[in-house]
Amino acid sequence: MPSAPCNEDVVVTGIGITTALGIGVDAFTRALRLGDPASPPSHSGGLLLIRDFNLLAFWNSLHLAKDVSPSVRQAARRAPLSLQLSLAVALEAWQNAGLFHDAFYAPEQAALIVAGHNLNLRTSYELAEKYCSRLDYLPASHALHFMDTDQVGFLSEALGIRGEGFTVGGASASGNSGLIQGLRQITCRNAQVCAVVGAMTDLSPLEIHSFTAAGAMAPDGVCRPFDRDRRGFVYGQGAACLILETAAGARSRCRKPLGILRGGAQCLEANRSAEPSPEGEARAMRMAMTYAGVLPSEVDYVNTHGTASVLGDQVEFDALSNVFGDHFPNVWLNSTKALTGHCLTAAGALEAVATLIQMNGGFLHPTAGLENPLAAGGRFVGPTAIDATPRIALSNSFGFGGINTSVVIEHIEHTEVF
Amino acid sequence: MTRAEVFAVVQNNILEVLPDLDPALIEESKSMRDLGANSIDRADIIIETMQQLTLTLKISNFSGISNIGGLVDFLFAQTNAR
Repeated sequence: MPSAPCNEDVVVTGIGITTALGIGVDAFTRALRLGDPASPPSHSGGLLLIRDFNLLAFWNSLHLAKDVSPSVRQAARRAPLSLQLSLAVALEAWQNAGLFHDAFYAPEQAALIVAGHNLNLRTSYELAEKYCSRLDYLPASHALHFMDTDQVGFLSEALGIRGEGFTVGGASASGNSGLIQGLRQITCRNAQVCAVVGAMTDLSPLEIHSFTAAGAMAPDGVCRPFDRDRRGFVYGQGAACLILETAAGARSRCRKPLGILRGGAQCLEANRSAEPSPEGEARAMRMAMTYAGVLPSEVDYVNTHGTASVLGDQVEFDALSNVFGDHFPNVWLNSTKALTGHCLTAAGALEAVATLIQMNGGFLHPTAGLENPLAAGGRFVGPTAIDATPRIALSNSFGFGGINTSVVIEHIEHTEVF
Repeated sequence: MTRAEVFAVVQNNILEVLPDLDPALIEESKSMRDLGANSIDRADIIIETMQQLTLTLKISNFSGISNIGGLVDFLFAQTNAR
């Protein structure tokens, strides 16, 4: 069980997000409330893809042009899609946190975590197709781009970060793993501010086919989390970023936090397979709540892992029922993947952002595709959004290889704190 | 292929890698480093140029060349040596 050397709250002061559902926090928030899964043309063959993304136009829409150095802007234009999305969300979050023109933190006190791995599979696949018989003409820059840590370097240059930086891998739980490591950067006083970027895994036809062959993806391309007719996940493209710092730091900078990252936990299952485990998932949730110092009865919302996996959703439902016991019928449940698709390594960061947006917006988004819940007793948000003000939320992410994670997020009533 | 055509290929590929560069700044007396191309950018430019000129030369052949004029001279000589 991790212990916290500093018992100060770690807060989120900036967010950035881009998915097929919406480019940027504002567009994403509007679409989240509406709750229609990203519709054509994004929805193509069961994949929720980001079409025609223009990074420079997005930065311009946020008036970020002056904050981007010419060398970063120039190199970003040739960057692979996954890196472009990371640049989009990281700069949006950095701006949202008011850090571009704030010298409060020295660059050496800022840390950077890129949550995700195998980020450029599609690029590698396309290069292999194009150059397999004429390797002499393979671009030298592939030596930079094939490494996921290219994103660490590039983002550090774009944000001027000179503290610790690394990638964190945990399959579909990577985003939460990144948040847990980011939390430790702050609580261990290794950094005073930390950007956690849930990066997009850009799948190639090989991985999409293998997921299909493994029976993991919905053959009809429709995501129905926790529904009796669920048939598997729908792949989504997306990335998200959260800026973490201490509550005291945020107060000193006169920034209103979006919420508190109360805690998080990860545990393994001593099991290499893709099979989920109700005991492991329940243990991760209990560990996260223990770390956060909250009781199950205090939790009023869970942003579920909810991929629409036939077995996975049942196991998560059972684990939730077990963890919350008599309180379970009071806990609101939804699945952001019903709207964004499963953004794989970015999912945890993306769903933490979605949780914060809902808490601050006073609503809970619909779980599109959920018409007939797999079992009675769960308080699911149905086909339309509801007004709600959850105070304490869990956000679950579970990855292949028995990687179970959960994080605890608390809403801040600004009228009381600020 | 004329020497001017080889220069145009090099110029286009520099602009592919450095899209914000003012094309007028690409002069024969300058090095690609002067224009802001790092070592990997320079390798990408040379490899793409070789592809378009259907040349296959080891990248180490280019290490002694100090400016864009020298690069064009070398590539022009190689295209005519075939």
